[in-house]
Amino acid sequence: MDSPVEYYPGRSLFHRLDPRAKIIFLLLFTIVIFVTQHIHVAVAVLLTVIALWCIARLPLRTMGSHLKMWGGLIAFLFVVQVVLRPGEVILINPLIPPSVPLIGGKGNITGEGVLFAFLIVARLLAIIPILPLVSMTTPIHLLTLGFVRLGLPYQLAYTITTALNLIPTLQAEARLITDAQKLRAFRTFEKGGPIAKLKAYPLLVTPLVIGAMRRGQLTAVAMESRGFGAKGKRTYIEDIAMKPRDWAFIALVALYCLAALLMNFLS
Amino acid sequence: MGHVRFAQYRTGEPYIVMDDVSYRYPGAKCYALEGLNLTISKGEFVAILGEHGTGKSTFCQLLNGVIPNFQGGQMEGSVIVAGLNTQEVSVAELAQKVGIVLQDPEAQLFTTKVISEVAFGPENLCIEADEILERVRWALQVVRLTGFEERSPTSLSGGQKQRLAIAAALAMRPEVLVLDEATSQLDPVGTSEVLSVVRKLNQEYDVTIFMATHKSEEVAQFADRVLILHQGRLIAQGTPQEVFEREGLLRRAGIRPPQVSQLAIYLKERSLHLSEFPITTEQARRGIEQLLNSLPDMWRETRFFCRPNQASDCSLDVLECQTTLYQAKNLVSDIKVENLTYIYQPYGVVALEDVSFEVGKGEFVAIIGQNGAGKTTLLKNIVGLLKPTRGRMLVEGFDTRQTTVAELSRRVGLILQNPDQQLFSQTVEEEIAFGPRNLNLPDPEVVRRVEEAIAMLGLERFRQEFPLALAIGDRVRVVIASVLAMEPHIILLDEPTMGQDYRGHHQIMGIAKRLHQEGHTIVIATHHVDLVAEYAQRVIVLRKGKILLDDTPAAVFSQPEVLLRTHVAPPQITQLAQALPAYLGLPRNVLTVVELGEAVIGKLVNSVHHN
Repeated sequence: MDSPVEYYPGRSLFHRLDPRAKIIFLLLFTIVIFVTQHIHVAVAVLLTVIALWCIARLPLRTMGSHLKMWGGLIAFLFVVQVVLRPGEVILINPLIPPSVPLIGGKGNITGEGVLFAFLIVARLLAIIPILPLVSMTTPIHLLTLGFVRLGLPYQLAYTITTALNLIPTLQAEARLITDAQKLRAFRTFEKGGPIAKLKAYPLLVTPLVIGAMRRGQLTAVAMESRGFGAKGKRTYIEDIAMKPRDWAFIALVALYCLAALLMNFLS
Repeated sequence: MGHVRFAQYRTGEPYIVMDDVSYRYPGAKCYALEGLNLTISKGEFVAILGEHGTGKSTFCQLLNGVIPNFQGGQMEGSVIVAGLNTQEVSVAELAQKVGIVLQDPEAQLFTTKVISEVAFGPENLCIEADEILERVRWALQVVRLTGFEERSPTSLSGGQKQRLAIAAALAMRPEVLVLDEATSQLDPVGTSEVLSVVRKLNQEYDVTIFMATHKSEEVAQFADRVLILHQGRLIAQGTPQEVFEREGLLRRAGIRPPQVSQLAIYLKERSLHLSEFPITTEQARRGIEQLLNSLPDMWRETRFFCRPNQASDCSLDVLECQTTLYQAKNLVSDIKVENLTYIYQPYGVVALEDVSFEVGKGEFVAIIGQNGAGKTTLLKNIVGLLKPTRGRMLVEGFDTRQTTVAELSRRVGLILQNPDQQLFSQTVEEEIAFGPRNLNLPDPEVVRRVEEAIAMLGLERFRQEFPLALAIGDRVRVVIASVLAMEPHIILLDEPTMGQDYRGHHQIMGIAKRLHQEGHTIVIATHHVDLVAEYAQRVIVLRKGKILLDDTPAAVFSQPEVLLRTHVAPPQITQLAQALPAYLGLPRNVLTVVELGEAVIGKLVNSVHHN
């Protein structure tokens, strides 16, 4: 199974960057995406992330499955923005005649709406692959160490990276549960409508949550038994060291983001 | 045989002392363990036996201080391990004395590399990196995983994962190693691999071992002392020999003695005593040989032990059964597998390769083979969850590639390993009705099916209970009921006995047998060869995605060398029959304790007649 966040072994330049450099990249790029109101910036970031994805030689199929997973939400937001954004009307809503009370005359498509919708979509598309780009190129224990070296307490750093690790586990578990449902002739997740699917979610979430809690308890016992949370300064068998290329990467990322923000505020 | 209590244990200073320990989990009304008194010396190998939910895991976690320090709850009395009172020191501090390995390998491996998994504990303890690397090297060497340092734990086999979990515990350099059902998911060879590592630690490094398990054959082989827990109390302890002989006690505690001990008990009930109570194949072999050789004297000494005619009759019956069993093949076929190859993408792992066979209507087939042999993949292909990469799978004539899983579910039901992934509803009734409703059956029909399934599995008490909150054995029964409510003709079970005790095993196999008698076709994948021998008519042995053997249990188990290639051994009783010298004239393809017992009796009766 290919998991969208799990470590994907490789020797690419991006793989070999110091985890700290990648964490800083993750933070700065995320900030830019959140702040920007400028479609050019959003598109530029999107293209950069795609370029980095290729440099890291990560499978494009995984990026595709990410986008597919979020596709429904993106389409929904697109439509909402297009029809709800006030502004100059470029196309009158053909579905609802103006004579209908309350909603009549609403839902007209505006120029601003279309532009803003494209911005939202570009931002979403850009932000979705950033986290996997980092998590798929960094072994989880080094990612933890990166957070620790950046000043986070070990327990917190461990919790963050473990949460990431939980996604593939839950995915695998969800697959087994939906398999069991198929075996009892349940087809809603395969071919049901969106509302039927929404209604059916408790059938998936209940066993998923209870299973995760059961396993989580065991994991906690196992971790505790191996000294997790012992007092003192934790040691690491693998250390990380910033190299010139890591500093160069951080500088590049910082400049890029600065430029993006400037462009955003100036225009 | 002597009954000298506790004399055989290693002598030494008290090393682990439990003084009147009782414990309640937070929010629980009842004690999980009650009134525990125990003294163990350093270097002992202690086995803990008992039914499910009888306090074995609680006992294990008392030893490393997770109870009560981490779990909370209410504890009375004290546990002293290597001079430390577990309630007064932190779990982390105790972790350097006591290592623990749990049942579920996935829950206790949390890093992405073998080497960092093993280093995790020592790193937490703030040990110097060089020292850790040295320990990692040592620990991996002890469990024979050297060379796997850079592999991902998820890429390892079940046995390798368990050995890795042991290495991770060893790297903390514990003086005590606790194994909480750490081998329950392994094939027989995987189990003995792990246990040989444990024995080595015990003998060469003087590590004290605690092993909670259901595998009594292994206990007999390795343990110095056996503790028997029943309903939260330590009801007996002794050497394996002492304990396995106490048949009434074992029955009360729901423990199955090794098959050779069962044989001795079977014979004893008919006034035939072996000179030494056997717990291993070798002891039983000696005992039976002696018994049959000393025959004339014995006959003079003992009273009449079995009515001769009846005895020879029953042994005949058994033989007849065996020869008539394997005939279903020529009937109509329910499952037809044609040159099936299945490849897992994206890594191209070949799970099944050019497999062909047929299962006839009303057969009872067992599928055995090592971890990763392709058993689950095969079952998932039959129900259509996986579609053949090459070849064809026909179920009652329907090509699974052209039929949906939902459509197939009317014909074939699959009970998967983990019940928790197969229960989704709020009540047991709803759970069982789930499938029939999906088939759009009319209400009265749904009700009829639910009622039938509830009655069949004895779930009346649980109608309105939340399925996921039931005990493991009951959860499995609800899953079986839910599949039966689909009324499939073919029923597949994938390791249905996993994580259950002896009683659980027989309960499930009893259900399978009943369904079979009602005319259902049964296919079951399992590691429990004794259950296979007792219940199945036909055995398909898989090895690395190919069929190694496909025959009657008697024929399959008569080829131990072939079975070993897929990490399976015949049942202990069969091994005993094979080890007995040929001149005794006992059958070699014995499958059950009763069969061998009757054969021995038959032999005695015959020679008495001739004398």
